[in-house]
Amino acid sequence: MKKNIILILTIVFGLAAVVLLARWMDDNRNDVQNQLVEEPLYLNGATAKHLSFAFNGLAADWYWMRSLQYVGRKIVSYEDKHEGRFDLSDLSSFDLRLLPSLLRVTTTLDPQFMAPYEYGAVILPELNQDEAIALLNYGIAANPSSWKLYQHLGYIYWQRHDYQKASEVYAAGAKLPGAPEWMTAISARMKAEGGSRDAAREMYQHLYEASNDGAVKEMVTKQIMRLDSLDERDAIRRVLADYRAQSGRCASLWRDVAVALHAARLRFEVTDTLPLDPSGTPYRLTKDGCDVDLNDNSKVPRR
Amino acid sequence: MSSPSADSVAQPDLANKVESAKHGGASRRVLAIARNAFREAVRDRVLYNLVLFVLLLIAGAIFLGELSAGQEAKIIVDLGLSAMLLFGVFIAIFVGVGLVYKEIERRTLYAILSKPIGRGEFLLGKYLGLCLTLLVNVAIMGVGLSLALIYVKRGWDPLVVRIWPAIFLIYVELTIITGVALLFSSFSSPALSALLTFFVFFIGHFSADLKALSGTTGSVSARWLFRSLYYLLPNLSNYSLITAAGHGFVPDMRSVLVAAAYAIVYIMVLLAGATLIFGRRNFK
Repeated sequence: MKKNIILILTIVFGLAAVVLLARWMDDNRNDVQNQLVEEPLYLNGATAKHLSFAFNGLAADWYWMRSLQYVGRKIVSYEDKHEGRFDLSDLSSFDLRLLPSLLRVTTTLDPQFMAPYEYGAVILPELNQDEAIALLNYGIAANPSSWKLYQHLGYIYWQRHDYQKASEVYAAGAKLPGAPEWMTAISARMKAEGGSRDAAREMYQHLYEASNDGAVKEMVTKQIMRLDSLDERDAIRRVLADYRAQSGRCASLWRDVAVALHAARLRFEVTDTLPLDPSGTPYRLTKDGCDVDLNDNSKVPRR
Repeated sequence: MSSPSADSVAQPDLANKVESAKHGGASRRVLAIARNAFREAVRDRVLYNLVLFVLLLIAGAIFLGELSAGQEAKIIVDLGLSAMLLFGVFIAIFVGVGLVYKEIERRTLYAILSKPIGRGEFLLGKYLGLCLTLLVNVAIMGVGLSLALIYVKRGWDPLVVRIWPAIFLIYVELTIITGVALLFSSFSSPALSALLTFFVFFIGHFSADLKALSGTTGSVSARWLFRSLYYLLPNLSNYSLITAAGHGFVPDMRSVLVAAAYAIVYIMVLLAGATLIFGRRNFK
């Protein structure tokens, strides 16, 4: 009996000591571990595929979740420092040097895994467009019948303003079995008016419909908001220019141009004096009332 | 790992069954041993691994939604099928290498072989008993995986059906590994048998590399060595459809049947080899 009590006490106090020591180590950990997060991957995709033999799918899943965690951690850290404000254009300021390798290893381990290509097409162009194009080309070589990969590749070329190439890629994708008819239409549109907002809006709408990824849908929603806001700001600028032409001065308050803005079908907040952007934040007058811009706390991305 | 009381019940039970089957055909004797081997595995709590498997799937189903950005169905299939193969390989190897050794160690083999039963029949019965254990194991895991898929997809999904050819091929691979374990255990110690069987499992998944090496190496003798190894060792990469199953890929019937035929022939060779060696062993 006495022996059992001693053993039970050893277990209880032993576990308590383990917890205390673990907490001490957490509190006193130096930043070596953080530095190791950015260490280059030891394995390239081909080696990882060899070593994982029958379990390459599971290894690909592991690298995929690691990619998401890698970007997610950076975003959380950024949001902590910037009062929770983050949009996709901020990605270019992140040090995401491991992301291309992580996505390459994921897709080498499982070339039919579509999510990393889609994610790469959206995230990588902000960091390195050539890497993004290489990833998508690899995906197309491994999955030649997937029209969605052509859609993503066309999107990357469109982002780098190479409308001719984007048109060619969409046209190639449109020829694949199962490709939707709009692929042909958007190919023609890229050729004719690749830089227009309507073309961009159409592209984002199709990207939204084709994607199953919540993060991609959120990004696309914000980009459509940005396009809507650009149209609204153009409309407001026209109203402000008319007011200046008629009165010889710029509008000092929104109330000065409220009637004209209502006529231009802009959205207003409850007091009917402040025009709202697509995220529901009021626009602000700049340049002494001669111009308009997004508010600092607007959720509409600037780029 | 069996308890002494369980063993003491199991062995007279087997001797009685063999005795009662002595006037029947060889198949009845083999089935009696197989049934007993299955019961012994169950008494040894081999199927307890199912609890671990279920816990793994539950944890996966709950947490993967948060971590995988909408890829939980693919990942649950990869996780489930990989665990199925890994657990199955551990059972096939660690139980397989003990099938014969335990009977020799406990000296129950003498009681069995004193009955009108051939050594080949004994080995075949043991082999089929472990294959039955693996079948039950894989089938329950398959059902568990299908239910986990229904849970993560919040309803029916074609993957629930599409994963079954891959599950079947995993089972076929496990029957080959069991045969390899039995062959090694017919002439060596359990530890060495387990090690050698693991080697065969690993090399079996590198068959494509052996073939590629035989094509690229400059030395004629090395070329022959790699080519011989490629054909002699089981080509287990034919049974690896785990990753493809995660994408809903279903292999055509012909390739599944050819893979099954390859396994049957290979297992026949393994069992023939094991019988040949076991038949010559002197237990005095």
